[in-house]
Amino acid sequence: MSTSVTAIIRERVQSIETMPAIPTIFLPLLDLLNLPAERVKLDEVVKLVSYDNSIAAQCLRAASSPLFGLAKSPESIKGAVIALGLRKVQTILLTCCLGNAFPTKNWPLDPTVFWRHSLGCAMVCRKFSEKLEAEDGDRAYMAGLLHDLGFMVNCIAFPKEFAAAAAHASQKQISLDDAELAAMGFTHCESGRALAERWNLADDMVQVIAHHHAPEQGESAQSLVALVHLSDLLCRMRGLGYGYYERRRVDLVGDPAWGILLKEYQNLAGVDLALFSFELDEAVGEVFELVSTIFGAAKARD
Amino acid sequence: MTTNQMVSASPFPSPSVAPIDPVFRQIRDLVYKVCGIFQLEEKLYLMADACGRRMKQLGVRTPREYWDLLTAHSSREAELRQLLNEVTIGETCLFRSQPQLDALRKVILPELAQDKNKQVIKRLRIWSAGCSTGEEPYTLAMNMLEESEHLLKGWTIEILATDLNDRSVETAKAGIYGDYALRSTSEYFRRKYFTPAGEKKLEVRPEVRELITFSRLNLQDDSRMLFMKGMDLIFCCNVLIYFDGPSKSKVIDHYYSNLNFGGYFFLGTSESLLKLNDKFHLVHFPGTIAYWKPSLKSGKL
Repeated sequence: MSTSVTAIIRERVQSIETMPAIPTIFLPLLDLLNLPAERVKLDEVVKLVSYDNSIAAQCLRAASSPLFGLAKSPESIKGAVIALGLRKVQTILLTCCLGNAFPTKNWPLDPTVFWRHSLGCAMVCRKFSEKLEAEDGDRAYMAGLLHDLGFMVNCIAFPKEFAAAAAHASQKQISLDDAELAAMGFTHCESGRALAERWNLADDMVQVIAHHHAPEQGESAQSLVALVHLSDLLCRMRGLGYGYYERRRVDLVGDPAWGILLKEYQNLAGVDLALFSFELDEAVGEVFELVSTIFGAAKARD
Repeated sequence: MTTNQMVSASPFPSPSVAPIDPVFRQIRDLVYKVCGIFQLEEKLYLMADACGRRMKQLGVRTPREYWDLLTAHSSREAELRQLLNEVTIGETCLFRSQPQLDALRKVILPELAQDKNKQVIKRLRIWSAGCSTGEEPYTLAMNMLEESEHLLKGWTIEILATDLNDRSVETAKAGIYGDYALRSTSEYFRRKYFTPAGEKKLEVRPEVRELITFSRLNLQDDSRMLFMKGMDLIFCCNVLIYFDGPSKSKVIDHYYSNLNFGGYFFLGTSESLLKLNDKFHLVHFPGTIAYWKPSLKSGKL
């Protein structure tokens, strides 16, 4: 993409008044997600949850939902955090935080579908990195959760153009990024990058957001980008895509991203892809429930 | 707790149903490791049910005892086969896997049609290997007839349907099905491709039958397997699970050479090749996987 197009997107993202500023708790939250689980302090998480009333309410509601099977609703934030477990709280926090930052009124994309895909991809990324015995499962999870940030940007900064692209994609059953390219001349990867850079996200997250459709073009963190790319495709083939039938064949092993990962993780060759897909099917229901739990009120709020 | 109590009549067992004995999860994993058939957690009750029937027949009292039997060296293979019979029983019906049919009609056929566009004789060859009582080949035939009105106009479509069991082949040839086998068949297809045949039964129309050649074939008969050349698609659902490792490998190697370059091999919905062949590429379509023999032009041989 030429610099001028990048400049136009960047300018548009900068100038749009409705473009959300980085949510206050976002960066501290990402920092917290980076820490190994044993070093995360309960009180810090409670503090983050309590910072925003609406997020605190969402966490309490999530904690009392049947999904988590608690005998009785927790009365305090601390109780909710303990009951849910830190990892789940962090996911809920990040999701609510982004969900609150981007009001979903008149989104061309169904927000429920978007979040199912994002949370599903996050979960697959973590599972995948566990299979590879990679150390940074939580980092992979976060990368999966954030990879499609650009769709949120497009919904707000380019609503008309993006609506046309989304309609074209589902009508022709082609991939959303191909439709974006045809209708807009750029994709959510570029607009996501513009916001990620404006928000000063860590470089590996910027790389994931910018290159998850073509990991071989990444400038750094290539194996993380490759992992997200493959997880994204797998989700789209197993019922956690963008809510329409994508007419395509996906050959993960033949994908350049597979080669990139294989260089770093030799045990990738031993991963049983069929079994991985079947296991993913088992988790789809849970993702659906988690999204409706977190998202139920967010929708009503708008 | 008896096994019957664990079985829920509803396809969506409510959380109030007694939790499934974890041994059944172990059995599920064993079945996958040995046979490549995966049972989803939500369908685990079917596995528990099947185990329950086997336990009753064998006079085994607890799931743990049954596990010991499944893992004891002497009885392992035979009992696993018996269990698989129970697990897959009654699964067959027309239109069993819509994701496979979607992949076929929405992705694969347009691709094949483009590849064969320049050929003088446009021919599509499909093999339903282990066709049982004919539900699969008839389903394929009806879907191909739909496509022959558009995408495959003027094409010659040949479907080979084979099974080891003579009686199954005879039933398949008759092409008469009741409500249970037709439970997933839409009104549209029932009207277009069937005629009434006695009480609550439907018979496939001659134009559907015309596309199919039924015959008896043993997949382990190497000399005959060598002659099954030039296939574009092979369907072999829940058949290979009954073969031991080496025989399975051999059959899969045959399939690979039976297929044209760029052809596809489909297993059952939750069945895997377990890495028994590294020439096939496992590929994904929405909701289903298949094994692909890379085309010459793909450079991925």
